[in-house]
Amino acid sequence: MNRKLSLLALPYAVWLFLLVVIPILIMAVYAFTTSDSAATLENFTDMGIYASVFVRSFRLAAIATLICLLIGYPAAYFMAGEGSGFQRVALALIMLPMWMNFLLRTYSWMSILENNGLLNQLFQKIGLFSLLKIEAFQMLRTPGAVTLGMVYNYLPFMILPIYSVILKLDRQLLEAARDLGANSAQVFLRVILPLSLPGVLSGVTMVFVPSVSTFAISRLLGGGTQMMLGDLIEQQFLGGAYNPHLGAAISMVMMVIVVLCMALMNHFGEGEEQAVML
Amino acid sequence: MRQSRRAGSRILIGLVFLFLYAPIALLIIFSFNEGDSSAVWRGFSLHWYQSMFRNRLIIESVYITLLVSLLATLISTLAGTFAAIGLYSLPRRRRDALLTVNNIPMMNADIVTGVSLCLFFVAFFQFWGGFARWFNGVQTAVVLPERLTLGFGTLLLAHVAFNIPYVILNVAPKLRQMDRNLMDAAQDLGCTWMQAFWKVMLPEIKPGIVSGALIAFTMSIDDFVISYFTAGSSTSTLAMTIYGMTKRRVTPEINAVSTILFLTVLVLLVIVNMGEIRQERRKRNPSAHSVPVGERLRRFFATRAGQYARWGLVAAGSVAFVVTVLFLTRETQSIPVVNVCSWGEYIDLDLIDRFEAETGIRVNYQTAESNETMYSLLKNGGADYDVIVPSDYMIAQLIEEGMLSELNYDNIPNFQLIDPRFKNLSYDPENKYTVPYTWSTLGIIYNAAMIDEPVTSWGALYDERNAGKVLLINNSRDAIGEALMYLGYSINTTDEAEIRAAYAVLDKASKQGVFQGKVMDEVFQTMEGGNAAIASYYAGDYLSMLENNEDLRYVIPEEGANWFVDAMCILKDAPHMAEAEAWINFIASTEANLANMDYLRYGSPNMEALEQYPAYYEELYGEPLDPEIYDIIVTPPEVLEHCQMYENTPPETRALYNRLWIQLGI
Repeated sequence: MNRKLSLLALPYAVWLFLLVVIPILIMAVYAFTTSDSAATLENFTDMGIYASVFVRSFRLAAIATLICLLIGYPAAYFMAGEGSGFQRVALALIMLPMWMNFLLRTYSWMSILENNGLLNQLFQKIGLFSLLKIEAFQMLRTPGAVTLGMVYNYLPFMILPIYSVILKLDRQLLEAARDLGANSAQVFLRVILPLSLPGVLSGVTMVFVPSVSTFAISRLLGGGTQMMLGDLIEQQFLGGAYNPHLGAAISMVMMVIVVLCMALMNHFGEGEEQAVML
Repeated sequence: MRQSRRAGSRILIGLVFLFLYAPIALLIIFSFNEGDSSAVWRGFSLHWYQSMFRNRLIIESVYITLLVSLLATLISTLAGTFAAIGLYSLPRRRRDALLTVNNIPMMNADIVTGVSLCLFFVAFFQFWGGFARWFNGVQTAVVLPERLTLGFGTLLLAHVAFNIPYVILNVAPKLRQMDRNLMDAAQDLGCTWMQAFWKVMLPEIKPGIVSGALIAFTMSIDDFVISYFTAGSSTSTLAMTIYGMTKRRVTPEINAVSTILFLTVLVLLVIVNMGEIRQERRKRNPSAHSVPVGERLRRFFATRAGQYARWGLVAAGSVAFVVTVLFLTRETQSIPVVNVCSWGEYIDLDLIDRFEAETGIRVNYQTAESNETMYSLLKNGGADYDVIVPSDYMIAQLIEEGMLSELNYDNIPNFQLIDPRFKNLSYDPENKYTVPYTWSTLGIIYNAAMIDEPVTSWGALYDERNAGKVLLINNSRDAIGEALMYLGYSINTTDEAEIRAAYAVLDKASKQGVFQGKVMDEVFQTMEGGNAAIASYYAGDYLSMLENNEDLRYVIPEEGANWFVDAMCILKDAPHMAEAEAWINFIASTEANLANMDYLRYGSPNMEALEQYPAYYEELYGEPLDPEIYDIIVTPPEVLEHCQMYENTPPETRALYNRLWIQLGI
């Protein structure tokens, strides 16, 4: 286009440098120093004791992402096949919960999952407990509850990108596949699925990254028994154990692992344009 | 076959929506609850909808949330659009490099973005402080502020920073689709560059701008993590206020606010969709279902309803502008202010109104989660307080680190009303820094309907027979302190072997599955709902729980308990010293102590208030105060003798506590 226009990119480049690059560099500086600003590697070498927290975070986030995919893909696929009115309402209904704060929605799950909560009351009414001779299912403060919280909060982020990719599929391709003798299973597996992969990848990213780093969900639904990476980091900055240097180091390690995971995954979807959220 | 498949797909979608909306329905239902529990239904009432307007914490945070979201959307939409135009006129390689950096905030976990921005702001403030001191030293014409803190400005910057990438991501595809020669053609035909931009480019990319702005606004409203790290102490978004509350009990006023916000959006969506459907019917466009969203938005903005929506956007922009001007004028107004930091639900909010009416001083009332959180905020420069209300051991630590200012008791005459029992305590032996606020004990709360024999010892917390029914208190000092008392050691011991022995008790119980969870203020909901049988918590809070569950009992175990004092202090170099003293004097008055005692159910340190409370209660409620309850609010001296107070421990002991505590957690 116009050379004059390219000048518009300059302020943004400066902005990016100031508010994206420099903060990450400062974080790196913190990670490699002590509170007396002496250089050190201790923040990293001491991290071994948190191995179980890393494992738990990545395991729960992976499970949550998988569940989101298993529910979200069919839901997005079926939604795209419905009439336009239905789609419009469904789309609005998926976006709408974001307008009720996620902490509040997560808090609401607490009263559903408690030992005397709605679900357990329901089980009691239908006589499940006298059958099994137990008092209640312990659901809150378990890894399952944390996973549920992740699935609940991030499911829309899985459905939306997949839906928008499937919607944009060229219908003529599907007809062509059918004309060439493919049955519906083959059409799905060999045409629709590969073409919707960019949506899946972007959905997986949008579910996995916030899941692995959450601290509010694990705090509310895990009840302090399911410490995650996010909790560990939050503790070092605004929680009980003030140590921003260790917090920065843990953030760095988490960032690197996540970026590696995403790079590896995106490798399989190489050459695809990143799917836009809407 | 086709029919059944369609039915199957609808069932699945229906289940997804049931899953998404069941908790929301519950929230809305409980906004009409007569009682204040979110688990126990006490009848229909609208009073939370009235009282929410009087709750300043909530109204202010709604205001901050809307303001920051509108401003951030406006700024990031403008900046993002121009940045995208600029990016698309760059050579490909440079564009791709910049786009990669642009994607970093979206790829990164929110917590990493939040933490890195927080560290960046704090580092910048330090740099700025040095610069301002030098600058103010070499000239006198302009005086620069030397001390900057996290607040609305940093919150807004952070929101703009994470919103711009979304705008660019939405505008970019439209620019890519646009014919690059169009702009040149327009200019060849005599348009100025500006005209070409308005008449040619803008209409082409408008759908992208609109959807970018919508996403930016939604992201801003829904954000919690980045705000949490960048807003500091003096600014609180709705999400941050809610997070503070989820630990105790979310007041149904929040449910009411959220219900209203939710319904507003719902109605807006319905209106927009109705307009769109009508428009489409008119066109009778049979292939509508395959139209991409951007195209639909473009079409929508050409309709009648779209005209309204466009005006709506303009109106929203103007409102944002006016609100900003109001905000700035309010902030710069020279009315006296005092910044107070205390704990959640730890004051009768009417007192703030009364103080403001009496003195004309505006109170910025903030809350922190715990002593440790407040300490972190003070340390990383996130706080801008004058008055804080820490507990005994934390006061000692703050004094030791030289962070408190000595008080001028001549300006706080009500200090004379404080019972001598609460003066010159170990944390402030010469009483130079503090005025006591409340005191209470940490004992055991149990549910008599779930436990067969009365609880008398701390051992009940670790008893295998109570497996799965015990809540452990979620802070190292109290949790390890309880185990120390159980073993008969001092809660202030510095002997590593004793502390490790206490840890071993906790560790064993933890491995046997005795603890259902580790909680702080979540204890309210859990114990009230009968979801756990035993917990340890503060006496005053027990009385609040008792109102919702009559089976609960409070006991000071035979091994003794911890008693504590929370006291008001002024931070060193507090900018509003006189106002801070006025506030402390007001809160120390008998009248304020009576109101707080009735609201909090914590003991008051004010002699007159202690004496007058039973009469005050009878006058207020028309029935005498149960002496057993009075004894729980105001622990009798002979019981208090068995109780120990926390003292500041040396750094090595603190480090040991931290290490052991994290070990127990993982």
